[in-house]
Amino acid sequence: MHILIVEDEKSLASELEHFLTKEHYRCDIAHTGRAASEKIAVNRYDFILLDLGLPDYHGLDLLNEARELEHQPAIIILTARGTVEDRIEGLSRGADDYLPKPFSLLELQVRMQAILRRKFNVKSSVLTLHGLEIDSSSRRVSYDSSEISLTKKEFDLLHYLLLHKNRILTRLQLTEHIWGNVLEDDYDSNYIDVHVKNLRKKLAAYVPNDWLETVRGVGYRLSI
Amino acid sequence: MRLQSKLTLSSAVSKVVILLLLVILLPPLIHRVALHNTDKRLLEKKEQVFDIIEERGIESFISNETDDMYGSYNLLKEEFISLEPIAAPQIDNRIENSYRKVENEVLEYRVLSLAFEVEGGTYLLEIGRSLSTIRETSDTMQQYAIYFLVAIVLLTVFIELAFVKILLRPLTLIIWRLQRIGHPDSFKPVKLGTTTTDFVYLNDTINSMMVQIKEAFLKEKEFIGNVSHELLTPVSILQTKLENLLTDPAMPEEMLVKLVESQKTLYRLKSIIHALLLISRIENEQYLKNEEVSMKTLAKDVAEEIEERVEAKRLTLDLNVTEDMTWKANYSLLFTMLFNVVNNAIKYNKPGGTVSIVGRNTDGGYTLSVTDTGVGMPEDQLPNIFNRFKRLQVPDGESYGLGLPIVETVAKFHNILLSVTSQPGSGTCFSFLFKNP
Repeated sequence: MHILIVEDEKSLASELEHFLTKEHYRCDIAHTGRAASEKIAVNRYDFILLDLGLPDYHGLDLLNEARELEHQPAIIILTARGTVEDRIEGLSRGADDYLPKPFSLLELQVRMQAILRRKFNVKSSVLTLHGLEIDSSSRRVSYDSSEISLTKKEFDLLHYLLLHKNRILTRLQLTEHIWGNVLEDDYDSNYIDVHVKNLRKKLAAYVPNDWLETVRGVGYRLSI
Repeated sequence: MRLQSKLTLSSAVSKVVILLLLVILLPPLIHRVALHNTDKRLLEKKEQVFDIIEERGIESFISNETDDMYGSYNLLKEEFISLEPIAAPQIDNRIENSYRKVENEVLEYRVLSLAFEVEGGTYLLEIGRSLSTIRETSDTMQQYAIYFLVAIVLLTVFIELAFVKILLRPLTLIIWRLQRIGHPDSFKPVKLGTTTTDFVYLNDTINSMMVQIKEAFLKEKEFIGNVSHELLTPVSILQTKLENLLTDPAMPEEMLVKLVESQKTLYRLKSIIHALLLISRIENEQYLKNEEVSMKTLAKDVAEEIEERVEAKRLTLDLNVTEDMTWKANYSLLFTMLFNVVNNAIKYNKPGGTVSIVGRNTDGGYTLSVTDTGVGMPEDQLPNIFNRFKRLQVPDGESYGLGLPIVETVAKFHNILLSVTSQPGSGTCFSFLFKNP
């Protein structure tokens, strides 16, 4: 996977590069619109992460240029101008997704995976891990053909943990994913613990060993 | 009391005082004038009498032999003239009030007495005019004068009333305009059509001040928006840096705990920025209000979203929205508004308590209320709960949340009447009145 990061904030670009490289993506960085324009003309990228607020270029123009390319790279807009109109404008011009700054790298990764599945026409939306089946389109979870009934939030939680398996997810990252649409001034709440507790209880009846590990003072990790 | 009324009243009072003074002073004055006129007439009559005596001779009135006296008075005894011979001129030429007996009736007269010598004899001439006649005249004059004065006072008061009204019309207009300004945003400077320079000055000053206030408001709004926006990029950098460190497998666990602490601080900053941006965007009218929002659905959605929190705190959520109403609004803003209030009701509740959401048609519209059985707030805190960054004493320390300011901003944006009542120790009730259009 070859990715172009178009971002004029150098340290943000390098953090993105650092994260994505570890996730086995190959990254190029363009700090200006001109550099980005040259790079997309020459190289064949699978993903373009595009910051709309560039010093020398209007991000949307770059979006148009990328849309004219033959191989149709996936484009995710990353911007601090998070109004509804901006979002609609970006998506209507052919961007595949839109992430308002500040965003979580984990969220970015999830979105990229979703786009990839769409792009390569992966029909199956089922994740299978040691007998645990999670269907993200019908939102059902089953283990060895017996269905586990979860609430909407418990499902989201399990799905997110599974997508980032073997990685510590902090309470805040989980909270943001689950209540992202609600402006939370209670960033220090323990509601997520209640959800995890309930999820554990429900899984315990089916899943033999305790996969869902608590990392004291930090968060949770699904170790498989 | 309005200036116009005060001005009219004060002028009326001053006129009445003048009128009273005149009523008191007029009788003696008129009496004196009447006496003066009478005296003048008596002197004229005296001249006439002398003319007649000169013409006809004193004998035609009094013959020397008989030593008689002459007297004449008119039928109603209003006037009399008498002539009599006297021994020596003891009496001076004078006019005075004195009593005279005429046909067995004693009357008071104004009498001119004059001693004179003619054809060797000394005579006393007396010309009198009844005082009651004089008084009658002066009374009549007085009466007319008072009628006249009252009429003048009334007339001038009415003229002044009209005049003051016309003169003060620009002021009335300025006040009328000021009363119609709900928020400095809605102010539009208007020129005043008057020649009264004071009012022109007043209007110009108000105009320029309101424009300044309006600009300050706009700048503040823009400032908050711009600053929040500018802060998002550095926050974004910090967040990705922290996440990269957190995903580093080489990171020892005690370092992870510290990183999570930093992440908490960063999320606090993030939520403040998001809240300010949200408020700023609402205030700048960047949201549409074109969705038909059903109150029943709204309450149900919020209840569902928040259900787990209710369970986590072992509370009971009582959703009692049987009557429905649709309201043209922005659904996600209304959701945030109700969510924040219900969330507060959960947060500050007592163990085993209840949160009830009640929606029903009321006078003038539809009322949605959220009542908790929580700790409540003292009355003096109520006015501050919607202030941004006003620190409030809450059970878990201090709240610097922007949750309630957001609630207020959303309510204001939608013209929803928001009211709060609270009883320390027994609970708080937030109610939203969606007014009938």
